[in-house]
Amino acid sequence: MRESTASAFRFTHLYLENWRNFTKVDVDLQKRAFLIGPNASGKSNLLDAFRFLRDIVSIGGGFQAAVGRRGGVKPLRCLAARRNSDIVIGARIGNNECPSAWEYEIRFSQDKQSLPAIVKECVRKNGRDLLLRPNREDKADPQRLTQTYLEQINVNKAFRDIAEFFNSVRYLHIVPQLVRDPGRSVGRQDDPYGGDFLEQIAKTNNKTQKTWLKKVEKALKIAVPQFEQIEFERDPVRGTPHLKVKYTHWRPHGAWQKEDQFSDGTLRLLGLLWAILEKSGPLLLEEPELSLHTKIVRHLPQMFWRMQMRSGRQIILSTHSSELLSEEGIALDEVLLLIPHPEGTKVRLARDIQEILHLVQGGIPLGEAVIPHTAPENHFQMSLFEG
Amino acid sequence: MSSGEIPPISCAVEGVVDETVLKRLAIETGIKIGTVYGKNGKSYLEKRIEGFNNAAKHSPWIVLIDLDRDAECAPPLREKWLPSPAIHMYFRIAVRAVGAWLLADIEKIADFLCVPQSSIPSHPEELEDPKSQLIDIAARSRKQIIRQEMVPRPNSGVKVGPGYTSLLIEYIQERWRPSIAAQQAPSLNSCIKRLRMIPYNSGF
Repeated sequence: MRESTASAFRFTHLYLENWRNFTKVDVDLQKRAFLIGPNASGKSNLLDAFRFLRDIVSIGGGFQAAVGRRGGVKPLRCLAARRNSDIVIGARIGNNECPSAWEYEIRFSQDKQSLPAIVKECVRKNGRDLLLRPNREDKADPQRLTQTYLEQINVNKAFRDIAEFFNSVRYLHIVPQLVRDPGRSVGRQDDPYGGDFLEQIAKTNNKTQKTWLKKVEKALKIAVPQFEQIEFERDPVRGTPHLKVKYTHWRPHGAWQKEDQFSDGTLRLLGLLWAILEKSGPLLLEEPELSLHTKIVRHLPQMFWRMQMRSGRQIILSTHSSELLSEEGIALDEVLLLIPHPEGTKVRLARDIQEILHLVQGGIPLGEAVIPHTAPENHFQMSLFEG
Repeated sequence: MSSGEIPPISCAVEGVVDETVLKRLAIETGIKIGTVYGKNGKSYLEKRIEGFNNAAKHSPWIVLIDLDRDAECAPPLREKWLPSPAIHMYFRIAVRAVGAWLLADIEKIADFLCVPQSSIPSHPEELEDPKSQLIDIAARSRKQIIRQEMVPRPNSGVKVGPGYTSLLIEYIQERWRPSIAAQQAPSLNSCIKRLRMIPYNSGF
């Protein structure tokens, strides 16, 4: 049986103001978080808050680049926000024993030239302020407020742990077409859409690569009929990396296929399994159920849980799947409902909605109890669409 | 039906744990499970029982449900669900739930949950709610990891812990001995006996 890694750090709380769809979010996070809500309610945008923190500290990133990549301050500010109000992202980082070991908060807006400017940056360790900006130097030289302290190695020594934690966040949303045709994303590194997925496998050291491929093979054998074997190889002439899969076949030696012939479901599952094997920081997933058979989807939460017992890694994912949520071990404080509202999308824990609590306690599967809460009000009119 | 290899048998169950139990019983009794229906709780099965029964006119079918507190004992519940079972229908009721069958292999469950054998009830089919009993026993485990996996966190709003399903699957597949458990669980004993009859009754 696996060792417990309960002490690994994770996001324990998220606070947002005027970020994209949300005027205000103030929510606790467990080791697993399942985000559910109608289309365009802001599931991806909630995940993007974590990615924004990562972008601030990543190589080639920084605060200006993180905002710039998202089109500037204006498109980031919630449409329901009052004019010129600040955007705030705050996160607590810790574990069960100490949920607020670290706190980070950034509040920003734009200056007169419409450039992103920090209004406040704050780091707390065990409840004690380590950094509170603007400080005296910032007041003397407002230009300094175009960069966070977090991104600057020469000033972040006392809280580099947070920078490293943010940098360990990984976002994954494999687009099968990009894996099949890596030419579309040449030069990209750690591409969340899978453009450099094969390169990432290639970069893994030989021994680990072999062990992980064996594990992936074992899982794929269960999920994909006729699947037999997976191998990694490099094209001998061009050196490009390839995966090939053997299927049982009427031919005595079976038939080999390269990744450009894999199905969407096989590629997505491959990417998902590979990401799970990596022992890194929080893993953000967009609709991991896509292209997968419902009976496989049902086992994803247990798969994630087992991964967490091994690596302590947090997992935050968006989903539309009631199958995925039908796993009876999913706690009601692990499910975040995003409910659209003219004043900005509200985020509530399933546990705090009495009706859901009563339904689940009465034996209704969680998926059946929560998904109706996220259906658009007039969804039935979709069937009247004539074009 | 012609004699020869036994074709896979379709079945319907309440959930993934029940499916694993049935597949383990299939190994024990020499039958092969085919398509598995349901896994959406008990009321889902109740609504569809007539459909399953119709299919059982033509080929063997197993439906496994928990008695729970729906009736005092199995016969009245059987009568309520299936007043006229089809010829190939094997409708089995676990008293009061499949969890009792798992507890009935006292030595292995105690070993698996890391608790003394004395903390496992000797007549599990007499328990009102075997599933919550299983969780209560796991809560007293010597191993922290068992408690973390099986027992829900306070305020989590659910009855089982996050690793409950996968841990039980591991137990059923690798440890649980149905023939030993059957000695403490009469409803399991009769279920095994009936499943052994399938090849003969179906003329394979």
